[in-house]
Amino acid sequence: MDYKFIPSVCSYCGTGCGVLFQVMDGKLMGTMPLKTHPVNEGKLCIKGWNLHEHVNSGNRLKHPLVRMNGHFRPATWEKAIEFASNRLKEIIGKYGPDSVGVLVSAKITNEENYLAQKFARACIGTNNVDHCARL
Amino acid sequence: MNHMVKMWLEQGKVDVFLGYKRVDGHPLPHVFSKDNLADVDELITGPARYPLEKIAAAIISEKPDIKIGLLARDCGQRTLNVLHVWNQLNTDSISVLNVPCCPSNLKEHADCSYLEPEKRGPDKQIHGFDNNMSIDDVESYKPKERFERWMYEFQKCIKCYGCRNICPVCFCKECSLEHHDLIEAKDLPPEVPIFHLVRAVHMAGRCIDCGLCEDACPADIPLRLLYRKVNQVVKDVFDYETGTSTHQPPFSVLGEKVTLELKPLKTVSMDL
Repeated sequence: MDYKFIPSVCSYCGTGCGVLFQVMDGKLMGTMPLKTHPVNEGKLCIKGWNLHEHVNSGNRLKHPLVRMNGHFRPATWEKAIEFASNRLKEIIGKYGPDSVGVLVSAKITNEENYLAQKFARACIGTNNVDHCARL
Repeated sequence: MNHMVKMWLEQGKVDVFLGYKRVDGHPLPHVFSKDNLADVDELITGPARYPLEKIAAAIISEKPDIKIGLLARDCGQRTLNVLHVWNQLNTDSISVLNVPCCPSNLKEHADCSYLEPEKRGPDKQIHGFDNNMSIDDVESYKPKERFERWMYEFQKCIKCYGCRNICPVCFCKECSLEHHDLIEAKDLPPEVPIFHLVRAVHMAGRCIDCGLCEDACPADIPLRLLYRKVNQVVKDVFDYETGTSTHQPPFSVLGEKVTLELKPLKTVSMDL
């Protein structure tokens, strides 16, 4: 039997609470607060306590999906990105770049957030950028 | 200590040993095994506390034949007793290495997180309870004021369920605080103070006063104090010692026999 405790950082919001994952034979079994973490000092909110549930959830999205005729259909990354870029180009061409908004997330890293706003400003050409922590 | 754990692992007295190891400066729970004996040199006892017994019970529920050794402070030993009398853990498959905790002249290496109680802020002193108060001090408040102070404490609750999740003696498969028959997915968790009182009632005759719930509470609710009170009632009314008795508490509702049995002798005060 292989049982490990993996210290990590909660991915739910921008606070950055320390969590400790309990992993048994490669499967995430539970989440505990990291007692000595300077941010949360052994405390967590209900979302942090249940991190392992969304990792193991059957509803988790593991592949890109494209909506065709009102239904989501699995697609490859190339197909999905191509579809999204074509639609974005179409919308920007028709209504202008300010018709697009980019919402970023605390669940992704600082660097990915930077890239997202750069994409909005430099590629799309809009300042409509917002973050889930502000909603 | 490290030598003994090595010996246990080598001789096969235990398959794995649950202790602590420092990782990147954090004292974390760690599972030591025979495959990596050199690891055992890094075994430490504290200072952080995690519910090792709960982790052991979780491992055993997946691998019933495994033999586990673990570090246990006094509270940990009471936990093992409660888990045993509730048939959650067979103590035959558990080997315990005692480590000191409580502040005492007899115990030199005391390193429990309760040795230095935190000072409470002025707002809590005016409207709530100091978490380290004695039950007698709490009861010196008039009932109305006492109720208001408890409500002040309870209304801070953010319903993180942390007190239940960390609790080493919370082992029910179905929890009445989130059972889908009682609370539908779209509904909010139980109201204040029902949430806390449901837990308090369930802690009667089960709480081993380890204080992990209070440690994990983001709202600093004096949970330990509350559960001490319910346990005192169990002691006064039924003469049941939680954590050392060899039988289940009188509130056992499983089976066909009613086990509730009042303590003989004089009348007792039921004033909560």
